[in-house]
Parts: sequence; structure tokens; C-alpha cells
Amino acid sequence: MKLGLVVDLDTCVGCHACAVACKEWNAAAPVAGGAPDYAPQGETPGGVWFNRVRHFEYTADAASGHLNLSKTINVPMSCMHCEQADCVTVCPTGASYKRAEDGIVLIDPERCMGCNYCAWACPYGARELDEEAGVMRKCTLCVDRIYDEALPPAERKPACVLACPAHARHFGDFDDPGSVVSRLTAERGGGGLMDDLGYRPVNRYLPPRAPAEVDTSAQRARAPSLKARLGALVNRIVEL
Amino acid sequence: MKPALSVIVFTVLSGAGLGLLVCAALARLAGEAAGGVWRAALLACVLLGAGLVSSSLHLANPRNAWRAFARFATSWLSREAVFAVLLVPLVALWLLAIAREARALEVVAAAATIACALLVLVCTAMIYACLKTVPQWNSWHTVLGYPLYGLMSGAVLWLAVAGPEAASASAWRTGALVLLAAGLVLKLATWLRFARPSDLPVHTALNLPAGRTRLLDPGHSRGTFLTSEFVFALARTRGRLLRWCTLAAGYALPLALLLAASAGGASRAFAVPAAVCCLAGLLVERWLFFAEARHVVRLWHGATDAGDAGGSACSTTGAQRA
Repeated sequence: MKLGLVVDLDTCVGCHACAVACKEWNAAAPVAGGAPDYAPQGETPGGVWFNRVRHFEYTADAASGHLNLSKTINVPMSCMHCEQADCVTVCPTGASYKRAEDGIVLIDPERCMGCNYCAWACPYGARELDEEAGVMRKCTLCVDRIYDEALPPAERKPACVLACPAHARHFGDFDDPGSVVSRLTAERGGGGLMDDLGYRPVNRYLPPRAPAEVDTSAQRARAPSLKARLGALVNRIVEL
Repeated sequence: MKPALSVIVFTVLSGAGLGLLVCAALARLAGEAAGGVWRAALLACVLLGAGLVSSSLHLANPRNAWRAFARFATSWLSREAVFAVLLVPLVALWLLAIAREARALEVVAAAATIACALLVLVCTAMIYACLKTVPQWNSWHTVLGYPLYGLMSGAVLWLAVAGPEAASASAWRTGALVLLAAGLVLKLATWLRFARPSDLPVHTALNLPAGRTRLLDPGHSRGTFLTSEFVFALARTRGRLLRWCTLAAGYALPLALLLAASAGGASRAFAVPAAVCCLAGLLVERWLFFAEARHVVRLWHGATDAGDAGGSACSTTGAQRA
């Protein structure tokens, strides 16, 4: 299995519900997750987030022919569960590991010495140090939810996916060509972030769809009505 | 990258200690008297010990530091730890052989010590050079730099420790001068190579067609682990000043002092200030090595192609400033 997420950059509205749901679930699940807050009500609130949403303004070059793609793009980012996970290979203690059975990258807090080296090796900023426990933390793909048979099957998904009100997040097995994530990626031409760096991220991002152009040529071609012409005349008189 | 004092002190001190060990072992192989070699070995152990303590200070969970040997197969940090620990019995054996005047054993142990010390230096270099996330580090400049600067400072230290009575003082002075000159050239070449840092544009990272991308909101109101660790803004004027400090203290002044020592007679009066000056310069060099390194995570926090310029692009994210 190759478990991962699909994030739809077209429909994501940037509401941070995924990030909040992630905090909510993982703050209460210290075994698998552990995302503490530091002084949440204080002057300088801080803490560990496994998922952060960044907001960019994108303006396509006129020459690219994609001007209608220009928009605000919200980019939720969490661990990409890379196939070439350098965060795992650089770890000296073996605390970071990638599971053979489903490809989830995890940290064993019992082994981590908090050297930050894995965070240095990650281009996505997916790893953050838990200053209270002194160990590194990251997205677990809600490993403590997705296999929990006490939950109804529809809820055996990461908290961020369940929380998304825009259905911009999907969870599934990329090894299964029939899964929702594989189909969406194929249909919409999903790609990985910074694929050039060669980490082979599993999570896919669906590009924004160009909005359908509204045809205004008919309106422009039609001769102005008598009413419009009268209106224009009145305007010109007023401006005299 | 955040210039963490503990890592800066660790890499400079242990680099110098390893370089000093290599120089002392080489000098001993060339027939140096035992007195200077003992002093050098003692100083090297102090430097390496101080480096080790300093390196553990940057661990958030030092209780698990003993596990750092576990991933020799994949991790350069693990390899560094293994070779550094392997060095202890090798140095002990070498010093024992000197004390017992067992010449054959001494040659073998000295060769093993030299090889192991060089391996540790290369491992330290590879810890940084293997990171694709930091383009300035992911280069042969780094692989060459750590061993060269270690040997360079080690050679200058050896001159200071061995003193003018050392049989091969003039030969070592020449050696130290060559290493200092080579270090100076490599440092300048590194700065020239990365004079114009280029970030990947965000739209490329997001697989969007050519265009302009601007960070509207980093998604957090205060600094985070990521901004404090990776988004370090170094003011241009301060960076330039520190580069001059590095060149002067790390390379040029020791060169001048050793040249003066070659001309005059009192070697130690020149060699000791040269060594102190070189180490101080390397501390500044190492600070810049981190402060000037641009991790790709900066991209997600508004870094642009425009360069550092006081980090204006990252100002909303609680970036550290210097």
C-alpha cells in the first residue's frame, strides 16, 4: 500500500479547518501524534502543527495563455510521506522510519534525541520539534484512526480529510489504480510539490482549474439600444 | 538557517582537534620528539571533549544521544559518531605505543589515527553536504571545506603547541602556510559560487504555469519552529562585515603572522596568536556558514529571488533577525 493524501488547490478555500482538526485530534493522541500548544492564550502563542496552510497570490504571465488561472491559492502542507524520504535516511538514531506495509513515515519518540537533522532534510517543513517533550513531531496520517475498527468505515480517515468543508482533501491508497486518490490524480493531472528535488512525495496536489470563460462577444457585437443611446446623450449633456 | 552556537563551537573545536591530531601523528611519524606530541595530543583531546559536550547541548533530548550510532548504513551523523568514538581507542593505543617506545605498533596506530580522524572530518562535511534542501551546502565546496579548515587550524595549532624547538618547525610552517592559502582560496571560491542565491519560484514548486507568486499570509500569527530554525535574515551590511572578519582573522592574519615567524626567529610568539586568531576567525566563518545558508523551506514563508535584503519578504513570519 502507498497511503497518502490528495489536496485540491482548486477547491481549497483556505479555512484552516484541516489544520485545526489535526491539532484537535493529535493533541489528544500523544502516543501517535503529540502536537502541543505553548501559551495558547498568552502574548506569544506557539506550538507544533503537523499541517499548515499558506496563502499565495498567483498571477499567470499573459504570455502563458493561462491568465484565467490567476487567483489566490491556498496551500495546505503536511508530511508528503515521500518515497525517497531523506528525513528517514539522515536520522542517526533510527527514530524516523517509513513503514513498509503502507508507506507512512513515523517518528518513534522513545528513540528520538531531538537533533533536528530530519527537519533540516525536509523541504516541506513537515517536521517540527516538540519543545516540551524534546522530540520531533510530524503528521502520522492519523495512523491511530485509519485502522481503528471501532470506528465506522467512513470515519477511518485522517482528521483533516474528514474536517474539510470544501472536500478539497482525499485519502487513499495510491498503489490501487481504482482508489479515489489515484483516479483524481489521473483525471486532474495531480502533481507533487517540488518534484524536481527528487524526494518523490506521495501526496498529490490537483492544480487549479481554469474557470469557464463567459462569452461576452454577443453583447459586444449587438448595436446599442435606443434607451442606451438616449442615456449616453443625456450623460454628454450633463457633462457639458 | 539559524546559527546555533553549540553546533558552531562543536564543528570548529572538533575540526581543529582532529586536524591537530593528524598533524601531530604525521610529525611523529616523521621523527618528531615525544614532548610536543604529548602536548598536542592533550590539547586535541581537550578540544574534542569540549566539542563533544557542545554538540550534545543542541540536542532537545540528550538522554537518547547514545542511540546516535544506530544508523551507520544511511546516516552521516551516525557515521561521524561511530568514527569519533573509534578514534578514542586508536589515540589511546598510539599514545601507549609512544610511551612504551614500541615503534612498529606506533606506526600502525598513528596511521589508523590519521585515517580515522580524516574520516570524522569527511563525515562532518557530508552531514551538511548531503542535504538537498540547502543548495549552498549541497556541493563539493562543503565536502572539501570541513576537512581543509580542520587540517588548516590543526596545523596552525600544532606550530603553536610544538614550539620552535620542534625539529621540523620550518617544514610545518610551510605546510600551514599552504593550507591557509588553500583555505582562503576555497572560502573565496565558495562565496563566489553562491554569490547569487536563487530560490525556486513558488509557482514552479506548485506546478503552475509561468507567472508571479506572492505570499499573502504564512498561516500563522507568531514565529514557529520552522521560522526560527530556517528563516534567518542576515542584514547585508552585517554579513559583509563578518565576511571581512572571517577573511582577516581566519586566514590573512595567521598567514601574515606565520610569514613573520619565518622571517624572524621567535616562532611561538607568532604561532600562538596565529592559532588563537585562526580559531576565532573560523568561529565567525562557521556562524556565516549557517546564517547565510538558505533552506528551501524559506520558499513557503515568502522568500523571493530578490535575495536577503534584510529579509523583508519574511518579515511577517516572525523571522529571526541579525
